[in-house]
Amino acid sequence: MSRLQRIALLAIPAILLPVVFVYDVVRSAVEFEVTSLTTIREFGVVVSFIAIGLFIRNRRKSVNRNAPKEIGRLFFAVFFGILVIALSTFIQPTSVPERSAPNIHLSALSMLATSGQSLLLGIVSIYLLFIIHDLVLFKRRKSTRRYYIAYFVLLFISCAMELPFIRFENGLLSSIFFSLTIVLIIINSFRQNWIVYLSKREKGYSIIYSVLLFFALVVLDIYLAQRTGTNNLLKSYSSTLHTFIWLNSIFGTIYFGVTFISTLFHLPTAEVFERKQSELNSLHNLSRLVTQVFDFNDLLNTVTQMTMEVCGARSVWLELYTVNEDSGEMSVAVAAKKNISQEEIDLIISDGGNQLRHYFIDTKKVLLIDDIWSDRRTKFLKDKGFTRGSLLTVPLLSHGKLIGVLHATKEFQNAFDQDDIDVMTTFADHVSIAIENSRLIAKSIERERFHQEMMVAQRMQKRLLPQKLPKLPQVEFAVVSESSMEVGGDYYDVLILSDDRIGIVVGDVSGKGVSAAFYMAEVKGIVLSLSKICSTPSELLLRANDSLLESLEKSAFISAIYGVLDIQDASLTLARAGHCPAIFVSEETVELVRPNGVGLGLTNDLNFKKATEERVLRLKPGDICIFYTDGVTEARNAQMEEYGYERLVKVVQECRNCSAERMKENILQSVQTFIGSGAYTDDITLIVVKWLGNS
Amino acid sequence: MTDFKIHQRDGEGVSVIELKGYLDAHTAPDLETAFQKLLTEKKYNIVVNCRDLSYISSAGLGVFMAYVEDIRKNKGDIKLTNMTPKVYNVFDLLGFPILYEIYKDEKEAIVRFNVLK
Repeated sequence: MSRLQRIALLAIPAILLPVVFVYDVVRSAVEFEVTSLTTIREFGVVVSFIAIGLFIRNRRKSVNRNAPKEIGRLFFAVFFGILVIALSTFIQPTSVPERSAPNIHLSALSMLATSGQSLLLGIVSIYLLFIIHDLVLFKRRKSTRRYYIAYFVLLFISCAMELPFIRFENGLLSSIFFSLTIVLIIINSFRQNWIVYLSKREKGYSIIYSVLLFFALVVLDIYLAQRTGTNNLLKSYSSTLHTFIWLNSIFGTIYFGVTFISTLFHLPTAEVFERKQSELNSLHNLSRLVTQVFDFNDLLNTVTQMTMEVCGARSVWLELYTVNEDSGEMSVAVAAKKNISQEEIDLIISDGGNQLRHYFIDTKKVLLIDDIWSDRRTKFLKDKGFTRGSLLTVPLLSHGKLIGVLHATKEFQNAFDQDDIDVMTTFADHVSIAIENSRLIAKSIERERFHQEMMVAQRMQKRLLPQKLPKLPQVEFAVVSESSMEVGGDYYDVLILSDDRIGIVVGDVSGKGVSAAFYMAEVKGIVLSLSKICSTPSELLLRANDSLLESLEKSAFISAIYGVLDIQDASLTLARAGHCPAIFVSEETVELVRPNGVGLGLTNDLNFKKATEERVLRLKPGDICIFYTDGVTEARNAQMEEYGYERLVKVVQECRNCSAERMKENILQSVQTFIGSGAYTDDITLIVVKWLGNS
Repeated sequence: MTDFKIHQRDGEGVSVIELKGYLDAHTAPDLETAFQKLLTEKKYNIVVNCRDLSYISSAGLGVFMAYVEDIRKNKGDIKLTNMTPKVYNVFDLLGFPILYEIYKDEKEAIVRFNVLK
C-alpha cells in the first residue's frame, strides 16, 4: 500500500468522526431527527472504523514470532480501555435511560468522552481481532481458515443487523445468530497450536498475560452487556460498533481463557519440547559445520559444546583413535574437551588397566555407567577421590571401524536417559562423517598433487626420447611412442654414431608406470654412453646387461633390440636382448628377424654372452626394417584376443611399398581398429626404417 | 578383469604349482605370495605347471626372476612345464630357456628333481 493510500485511509476517520461529533452536538442542541441523516451518520461511523481496520491491518506485523508479548500488549490496551471507561463514568455520572436512539440530552463534554471511548474501544477491538486471527491461523489447515472466516461473516452479519435502515427487531433471529456466533467463537478458541512452540519462559508469560487479559475482557464483557449505565453511551454512539466490540470481546474472553488453560497443561511438556528444539537446532548447526571440514577443530569444539548444552552434562570430551597403518598400533588423542582436565581423563580412561578403552574397542557400543562409584569398571575412581556421577560414552564409527569416542559425565547417578544416548549418538555420527570427509579431501588433494607430479614426469620423459630424427638421403625414419599411463617403460632412440653409422635402439622395461620410467631413463643413459665406445651391437648389449644387472631389482628386466645401420656398407647389424623380433621386409618377403638373446638384467655376463647372437641384414633399396615393443603384438580387443604377429605381418606385407611414415600409420591404424574403442593396455613404440639406397 | 588361479600340490619332495589364467601385473602378487609361502616352508624343489596358463606378461616373468635366486641358493630350482606354444614363445623370446629348465611334461621335471637327489 502506498503512502498516499495510507494517508487517505487515515483521512477518512479524521474527517468523518469529527463531522459525526459536530452532528451529534448540533442535534442534541436543536433536537431534530431526520432518519436519513441518522443512517448517513451510522454509515459514517462504520466507514471510519473500516478505514481504521484497514490501516491497522496494513501497519502491523504478524505476531507469530512473539505471541506472549503481543498478548501482554493487548492486555494493556484493554486495561487502558477499561480505565478510560471508568474515568468517563466520572464525567457522565448520571445513568442514562435505556434508549437506543441517540437523541438524549448530553453535554458536549460527555459527548466528546463518548466519541473518544468509542474510538478507543473500536481500535482495541480491531487490534484484538487481528491478534486472534494470527494465533488461530498459526497452523493453517483448510478447516482452520474456514471456521475463522465463518466467524468473521457472522460478525459482519450481526453488525449489519444493527444498521439503522435494516435494524432487525426480530429477537428469535438475533438469538440464533448470536448462538451461532458463540459456537464459532468456541470452535475457533481451540486453535491454540502456537502454544506448543513456545519456550518454557514464553509459556510462563503466556499464562500470566492470558489470565490477565481474560479477566480484563470479562470486565469489558460485563460492561458491554449492561443494559443501563454508561454502556449505553457506546450503544447510543453506534449500535453497530457496540455489537462489533462486544462480540470480539466475547471471542477474546473465551479464546484467552482457553489459552490460559492449554498453556497450563502444556507447561509440564515445555522442557521436553524445548530440549527437542535445541537438539534440532544443534543438529542443524552441526550439519552445516560438517561440510566445513577445514574448520575441523572448530567442529569438534562445537560438538563437545553442544553435547554439554543439549545433554546438560558436567563435562564432555572427545577422543580420536588413529591406527598406524604399518605397525597397527592405535594411538589416542583427546581432540576436544570441556570442563575436564587431561589428568582427569587419564584417570577415568587409562587407570584401571585401560578397561574402559578395551571395552570401546572390543564392542564398539554405547557405554552407559549409571554410577561410577559402584560400576565394576569404574569402581576404582571412588578411591581416587573422583566425585560420584554417571558416564556416557558413544563410539564414533566410520565404515564400521572405531575412529574415536565421545564421552560425557553428569554429576548425578542415573542421570543419562535414552534421549541423551540418542543425541550423543547422532552427534558422534556427524563427527564421524566430518572426519571421513576431511580424510577424503586430504586424499583427493594428495592425489591431485601426485597427478601434477606425474604430469611433470611425463614432460620430462618425453624429453628423454629423441626430439627429432636424423634426416638422411639414404634412409627414412618414422616413429611413434605412446604410454598407457602418464609415464612408461618404452625407450627408443636413433643415434648418429659416425658419418656413416646410425644406431637404432628400442627397449621395453618390464612392468609399467613410475618404476619402468626410472629404468627407462637409466637405459637411455647407458645406451647413450655405450654407443660411442662399443663397435658391435652385441657388445653394447653385453655391457648394458653388465651395468643393469647391479641396479635392477631382481624381478625387473629389460628387453632391447639394437641395430647398427652402415650406410656405406648398406647393411643393418642386429642384436636382440629378449626383445620382440624385428620385421624385415625385403622385396616380396617379410621375415621376423630373431637372433638369439636374453633380456637385460636377467643373467650374468657369461650366460648372456653365450646366448647373444648377431645377425647382419643386407639392404636393397626399398627394404624396410620395423622395430616395435610388445605393446603392438599384445594389444588386446574387448574379447581379450591379442593382436599378434600374424596380423602385424599381414599389414606390413600389404604395405611393403609404402613410405616409412605410411607404414607406421598403417600399422597403428590396424592396431587401433583391432582394439576398438578401448585404450592401449601397454606402452606402444614403433620405429620404421626404410632403406632408400646409397647411390 | 582377468582371472588367475594358483593350485599347489606337494609330493615326493617336489611342490607343483599349477597356474591358470592370466598372469600379469595385477595377478603377479598372487604368485609372489605362493613362492613366498614355499620359501618359508622351505620347499625349494618347485615345478610350475603352465598347462592352463593362457597369458604371461613381463610382470609375471619378473616373479620367477625375483625368487629363483633364493631358491637356487638353497639348492632348489624352479622348473617350468606344460607350456602352450604361445606362452612358451613369451618365455623363449626373453631367453628364459637359457635360465630355466623347461619340460614338456610335469613328470619329467619331477623325475629330474628326484634324479638329483
